[in-house]
Amino acid sequence: MKTNILTHISPFAILVFVACNLSREVDIDLPEYDSQPVVECYLEPGKPFRLLLTRSFGFFDPFGVDSNFFQNVLLQDAVVTISYNGQTDTLYNTFSFAPSPLKVYNYTGLNLVPATPGINYNLHIELPGNAGVIEGQTVMLPLVPIDSTVVQFSPDADTVARVLTYVTDDPNTENYYRRLLNYYSLDSVPEQDFLTPDRFLSTPLLAFGTGYELGEGDTVYNTIFHITKDYYDYYESVQLAIIGNINPFAQPSPIKSNVSGSGNPLGVFTCLVYDRDTTVVMR
Amino acid sequence: MLRMKQYFTLLPFLLFGLAALQAQNTATVNGTLRDAQNGETLIGATVEALGLRQGNVSNEYGFFSFTLPEGTDSVTLRFSYIGYQTQFRKVKPVGIIKLNVSLRPEDAVIEEVVIKANALEEKMKSTEMSVSTISTREAKLLPALFGEVDVIKILQLKPGITAGSEGTTGIFVRGGSGDQNLIVLDEAIVYNANHLFGFFSTFNSDAVKDLKVYKGGFPAQYGGRLSSVIDVRMKEGNNQKFSGAGGLGLISSRLTLEGPIQKDKSSFIVSGRRTYADLITRAINKANADDPEYDPIPDYYFYDLNTKVNFTLSEKDRLYLSGYFGRDVFKFKDASFDFLFDWGNTTGTVRWNHVYGPKLFSNATFTFSDYRYRIRNLLQGFSFRLGSNVKDANTKLDFYYQPSNDHTVRFGLNVTYHDFIVARLKAGSDDGQVKFESGQNFDGIEYGLYANDEWAVNDRLKLSYGVRLSAWQNNPAFYARLEPRAAANFAVSKNWSLKASYTRMNQYVHLLASSGLSLPTDVWYPSTENVKPEVSDQVAIGTSYLIGDNLLVTWEGWYKWLRNQVDFIDGAELFGNDELEGELTIGKGYAFSPLELEIEKKEGKLTGWIGYTLAWARRGDFPVINDGEYFPPRFDTRHNLSIVALWELSKRWQITATWVYTSGYVTWLPSGRYTLQDVPGGQTQPLVPVYGDRNTYRYPPYMRADLGIVWKWWGKHTQNDLTLSVYNVTDRRNPYFIYIDYDSIVTPVGDAPTRIFAKQVSLFPILPSLTWNFKF
Repeated sequence: MKTNILTHISPFAILVFVACNLSREVDIDLPEYDSQPVVECYLEPGKPFRLLLTRSFGFFDPFGVDSNFFQNVLLQDAVVTISYNGQTDTLYNTFSFAPSPLKVYNYTGLNLVPATPGINYNLHIELPGNAGVIEGQTVMLPLVPIDSTVVQFSPDADTVARVLTYVTDDPNTENYYRRLLNYYSLDSVPEQDFLTPDRFLSTPLLAFGTGYELGEGDTVYNTIFHITKDYYDYYESVQLAIIGNINPFAQPSPIKSNVSGSGNPLGVFTCLVYDRDTTVVMR
Repeated sequence: MLRMKQYFTLLPFLLFGLAALQAQNTATVNGTLRDAQNGETLIGATVEALGLRQGNVSNEYGFFSFTLPEGTDSVTLRFSYIGYQTQFRKVKPVGIIKLNVSLRPEDAVIEEVVIKANALEEKMKSTEMSVSTISTREAKLLPALFGEVDVIKILQLKPGITAGSEGTTGIFVRGGSGDQNLIVLDEAIVYNANHLFGFFSTFNSDAVKDLKVYKGGFPAQYGGRLSSVIDVRMKEGNNQKFSGAGGLGLISSRLTLEGPIQKDKSSFIVSGRRTYADLITRAINKANADDPEYDPIPDYYFYDLNTKVNFTLSEKDRLYLSGYFGRDVFKFKDASFDFLFDWGNTTGTVRWNHVYGPKLFSNATFTFSDYRYRIRNLLQGFSFRLGSNVKDANTKLDFYYQPSNDHTVRFGLNVTYHDFIVARLKAGSDDGQVKFESGQNFDGIEYGLYANDEWAVNDRLKLSYGVRLSAWQNNPAFYARLEPRAAANFAVSKNWSLKASYTRMNQYVHLLASSGLSLPTDVWYPSTENVKPEVSDQVAIGTSYLIGDNLLVTWEGWYKWLRNQVDFIDGAELFGNDELEGELTIGKGYAFSPLELEIEKKEGKLTGWIGYTLAWARRGDFPVINDGEYFPPRFDTRHNLSIVALWELSKRWQITATWVYTSGYVTWLPSGRYTLQDVPGGQTQPLVPVYGDRNTYRYPPYMRADLGIVWKWWGKHTQNDLTLSVYNVTDRRNPYFIYIDYDSIVTPVGDAPTRIFAKQVSLFPILPSLTWNFKF
C-alpha cells in the first residue's frame, strides 16, 4: 500500500536517463560499516527446522563469487536451538537444500515443525568465537485458506484472461497477509509480491487479481501467506530499502528485524503458514 | 479558553495606546497610486514633501497617507517609482488632501508593467529585512527551463532560499522544510504550488503582478507557517483599454485578456495556460494503434485559469474578486483499465478596500482554498479510489492606520476554518462483496489577532514592534500562542543602515511528506492533542550599504530554532492507515547562517543581483530516528552562490544570464548490504541495502549556467518578443540522485552479483527552447 505511481514510473525514468546519457558510474565514499549477522528462519509446518545464518557486508565490498563464496557469506559454527512446547531442538551446522524452488540452509534440525496453531517458538543462537547471542520469538498462526479461484476471460478480447483469488478474513483478529503470484513455476520471478493488512477491510472478503494477461493453458501459482506483524514489518522494510535505492521519490527504510542480540543482527524468525492454489487457465 | 480570552483582551489595549499617538494641527495627504496606462495599483511607490523630509510609501493596495504641518505656503509633493516618470503636485497643507495619482511608465513604448516593491534606498531605510521581491518583468526575461517562466524558480536564486532538487519549484527557506512556507495568491492559501511533480509552479506569469517573499522579520499580519511568507499578487486588469497577451512555448501556451468593464471604474482579467504534450502523445498512440506490441503512452497535461475583476464602488470603496483553478491530469484508458490521477488547487478571494478617512484604511477579505488529489483505477468489476483534500474558508480584516508621520499602525484579525480529508481510500468489487475503506476526516479553526506599529523614533532610528496572537481549535485540542515580532533599523549614515529582527511563528497544519520532495500525494495534517503546533524563533541581524544610488549591498546573519518538527518514523505507512499519528515522530531542529549576502542593482542597462549564503540546517531529537541524534535534512547545503544579470543591449535586444553554484544536497545512502533468500516462491534478493544513519552522503556540487536572449519587435497594434532560453548552457551533468547497481551472473539460487557500483543520474542536459510572446 505504500508505493505510489512514482514508484512505477521510476524504472522507466531510469531507462530514459540511460538512453539520454544522463546516467554514469561514479565513485562515492560510504560510511564505515560493521558486518552484522543475518538470520533467515521460516518454520514451515511439516518441514524440518531449518535456518540460514549469514553475514552482511559493506556495500561496496567485493562479492567474490568463487570457491570461497559460501565460506565468506555463511556464518558457520554457531550453536542454534529452537524451543517450543517445553522441548528444545538443536539445528546442526549442516547444509540442506529444499528443491524446487531451490533454497539453501546451513543449520538443520532432526524434527519436523508441528502444524498446531498457537505454538510459541523461541530461537537461541550462540555466535561462534563467543561473539554473543541472538534471540527471537514467533508464533504459529492458523492457516487462512483460499476460498476460491476464478478464471475470467476478458469481455473485450476473449483470448486473454485474469485469475481472481478470494480469501475470507477473520474480522475479530488483526491479520496480515503476503501475496505471491508466480506464473509457470514457483522458481519464476513473482509477478506480484505484496503485503496487506486487513485493517481497512469493510467486508471479510479479500480479493487478489491478475491483469488480463493470461492465455489458455497458462499455469498460475497463487500463494497467500498468513503472517505475523513482525514479519509484515520486516518484509515491508526490505521492500522499502530496495525501492529507496532506485527511486528518488521514495523514502528508504532501515531493516526492521525481529531478532535481537549481539552484533546488531538483521533478519527474521517466523512461521510460514500459507495456502497455495495452482490454476491452469481453461475456458 | 480562559487563557485565550486573556490574550485577546490584551491586543485592543495595545491598539488604543497606539491610536492615542495621533498628532495635532496637521494636514493629511492620502490617496492611491496607480499606473496611468492600465490602472494597476503601485505597491511601494514613494510620496515625499520636498524640503520637509516627510512622506510615505504606498502599501500593498497602493494606498498612502501622511501628515504635513498646517500652513499657508504651498508644498510640493513628489511621487516617484522606479521605471515610472516622477510627478510633482503642489498642495496647500490644510485639512484633508485627497490625491489619487497615476504615474506613466518611463518606457511608454514597451508598455511593460514594471513593478518593484522598493527602490533600493527605500529598502535600505525600511525596518523590513530578510525580504525579496520578484517582478514579473524580471522573471519573464530570465532564462527558464523549457522556456516556462516561473516566478518561484526565480526566488530560488535569492540568498537564503534553496531548491532542494534540480529543476523543481521546491522552496526551502533558511533551513525550513518545504511545508513551512505560507504561499498566498491574492491572500488565499495555495497548498501545493506545483505542477508536474514540482517541475513547474502554479503561477502563470501573465497573471501575476508581483511576488514578495519574507524569509524572516515577518510582519504581524502574517502567521501560520514557520519559515517564509510568499505573497503573490494577481494583476487587477487594465481599466483603461482592452488588451491581451500570450505566448507559444515548447510545452505550453498562454493567453491573457484584460480590459475595462467601465473605464476608470472597473476592469477584468482572464488568463489561461495549458500544456500540450498529451496532444502529441495521443497522435503517437493513434499512429501505433494497430501494433499489438506497442504500449500506449499515458496522457499528461496541466492547466491553469486565473480570473479577476475589480470595481471602484466609490471614492472610498473598491471591490476585488479573483479566482484560480488549476489541475494536473495523468490518465490512461484501454479496454480493461481506466486510470486517472489528477490534482490541483482552487482558490477564491473577495476583497473590499475601504478608506474610512485620510488616516485609516481597511481591507476585508474572504478567501477560499481547496487542494485535492485523486487516484482512480477501474478494472472490470473492481475499482480503487484514493484521495486527500484540504479546504479552507478564511475571513480576514486588516486595518492600516497612520496617526502621524512617525507611526504606521496595522492591526486586524482573521479566522480560518480548515477541513481535511486524509488519505481516503475506497476500493472493492462492484457487487459490494469485497470492500476496503480507510481515511480520516478532521476539521479545525485557526484564529489570528495582531497589531503592529512602525515607529520612526527619530531621523536615525525606526522600530517595528507588534504581536500576533494565534490559536488553534481541533476538539479536544486547543492551543493559544503569543507571537512577538520586532524589528529595528538604525541609519548610521545616509547610505548605511543597521538592522535587527526577532520573530516567533506557529504552524498548526503539517505536510506529511514521505520523501522530502513535494509530491501531489503528500497530505496535510492538522495539529491534534498529540501533534503539537510547530514553533520557530528567528533572530536576524544585518546591514545595508548603498553605493551610489544604484547598488545595494546587504549582509544578514540569522539563527532559527525549530520545535515540534513532524517527521515520519522509518517505514511509515501513509495509505490505508486510520492511525497516522502512530507513524509520526516529533523532534526539533535548528538552522543558522553567519553570512547571507546580496548585492543588487536595479537600474541601468545592466541590472541583476549576486546572492551568497553560508548556512547549516539540522533536524534531530526524534525518539525513533537516528537514535535521537541530529542530522542534516536533504536540502541542507553549505554554500549557495547565484549570479543573475540582465543586460539591455538596446530596446530590441536583451541578454540575460544566471549562474548557480550549490555545494551539494545530502542524501541517505545505504552503508551495508545482505542477501535475502526469501520464502519458497519468493525472489532471492542478492542485494538488500542496509540503511544506517540518515543523510550522511553529500552529493557533488551543483553548478549550472543558463542563458537567455530576448528579441523584441513591434507591429502596428502588437508588441512581440522571441525569447531563446538555454538551460544548462555548459551541458554539465549535475547529480539528481545516486543509486547502487550491480553486475551479476546467474546461479542455481538466483542472480549472484559480481560487482557493485554507484550510478549518478542527471536530469537535464543542455536544453534550448524558444518562446514567442505577444501583446496587443
